[in-house]
Amino acid sequence: MAPLRLVPRRGPDEVALVHLVSSVTAPLGGDDLELRIRVGPGASLELRGVAATLALPGRHPGGSRALVQVELAEGASLEYLPEPTVITARACHEAVFRAEMAEDARLRTREILVSGRLNERSGLLSTTLDVRRNGPVIKQTSHVGTPEVDGSPAGLAGRRVLGTELLCWGEDLPGAVSEDWWSLVPLARGGSLTTAVADDAVTVERALDIARGKHPGSGDLF
Amino acid sequence: MNLAALMIADSRFPGGGHVHSGGLEEAVARKLVTDEPSLRSFLVGRLRTAGALSAVFASAATRGRYAELDAEFDARTPSPAQRNASRVQGRGIARAAKRAWPSPVLTELLRVTPRPHHPVIVGALVGDPFEAAQTVAYHAVTGPATGAIRLLGLDPFGVNAILAHLSSEIDAVAAMAADHADTLPEDLPSPSAPGLDLLAEAHDRHHSEEVRLFVS
Repeated sequence: MAPLRLVPRRGPDEVALVHLVSSVTAPLGGDDLELRIRVGPGASLELRGVAATLALPGRHPGGSRALVQVELAEGASLEYLPEPTVITARACHEAVFRAEMAEDARLRTREILVSGRLNERSGLLSTTLDVRRNGPVIKQTSHVGTPEVDGSPAGLAGRRVLGTELLCWGEDLPGAVSEDWWSLVPLARGGSLTTAVADDAVTVERALDIARGKHPGSGDLF
Repeated sequence: MNLAALMIADSRFPGGGHVHSGGLEEAVARKLVTDEPSLRSFLVGRLRTAGALSAVFASAATRGRYAELDAEFDARTPSPAQRNASRVQGRGIARAAKRAWPSPVLTELLRVTPRPHHPVIVGALVGDPFEAAQTVAYHAVTGPATGAIRLLGLDPFGVNAILAHLSSEIDAVAAMAADHADTLPEDLPSPSAPGLDLLAEAHDRHHSEEVRLFVS
C-alpha cells in the first residue's frame, strides 16, 4: 500500500492539479518515503497537500526519511505546496527536496516547519532544499530541534515556526525586500527565496504570501 | 598552527574584517543580544550555522576547485548582504595576501575568482584543512564578540572568557569540516542560518537609512 495517495482533479485545466493525501500515518520512525516527479516539456503541475504532516517517532531507533526528487523538462512548471510539517517530541526525521530543472522551467516550492505541537518540545528534523539549473541555484539544510541553535538569534531566534519559499519563476527583483522577520532575496544565479520565522504557522504563511506578492512572477501564481 | 593562520585570525590583520559584526549589530539593535548569556547564545548559533558552512568551504578550498566552490558557496548563502560581506572580506584578505604571501596558488585563485569568498581564500592561504577550518570558525565568532564589547559596553574579560570556553565547540566544527576536505563541492554540507539571513538583510536596510557602526 502506498503511503501517499495522489488525487488528480478532473477537468480540462491548463494546469494539472494533484492533491497529496496521506493514506497511512507517516512518517514514522523507520519509514523511508520517496516521491519522484517528472514534469514533461511545456507541462504544468500543481501538487498540493491537504493536511499537515506529523513526523512521529517509531518503535525502532533510526528515524525516518522522505525524499522528493523532481525533474523539470524545457518549459515545464511545478508548484509543490505541501502543508506544514510538525516535528513531534522524540521524532527524528530527514527530508530532502531535490530538483533538476531545464533552463526555462519554472519551480515554486514552499516549506513550513513547526517545532513540536503546542507546548511540546521539538523532535529533530533536518530538511534540505537542493535545486540545480545548469549549476547550483540553492542548497540549504535547515536543522530544527537543537535547543542551542533554535533559541539563538542566529537560528530561529526562539520562534517555533520556520517557513521558506523558493521561486524560480521568471524574472527576480533586483534587490532584497525585507521586514524584521521575513525577507525575499534574489539568489546569486537566478531564483528568489523567502525566509520567515514566527511563533505560529498562520503568521509565517501570511509573511510568505506578502513576500510572494512582491515577486514579479506573482501574477501567474495563487 | 602555521603563521598564516595566526596572522589571518589576528584582529590586527589588515584584511578589513573589523568593520563587520556578522549580524550582531542588528541583533543588539533589536535587543536580541543584551548581555553575556544572550551573546553566548548568538555566538553558539552562529558557529554551528554560518561558522560550520565557512569551515567546510575553507577546508575544501585547500584542495583547489575554486570556481566550483565559489558557485556552491553562493548557492548556500541566500542573503545578498551576506554574499557581499563574504566577498568584501575575501577581497580584503587578497589585498594583504598579494604582498604577504604571493604564490601560484593565490594567483590561480584570483584569476578564477577576482572577488573570492572569505572562507575560500583563507583555505587557499592556510593550506591545511583543519587549521583553515579552525581559522574561519574562530573568525565566525570573534568578530561579533568584539562587536558586542563596543556596542553594549560588555566586560572585555567576560567576553574573552566566553570565546575561550567555545574552544571545544570550535574544534568540533573544524574537525567535522576537515573530514570534508575531499568531498565534491556539490555534496558539501549546507547548514542554513535563518536568523542570520534575516538580521543581515535588516542590517543592510537600516545601514542605508541610519547611522550604523558596522558594515554588516
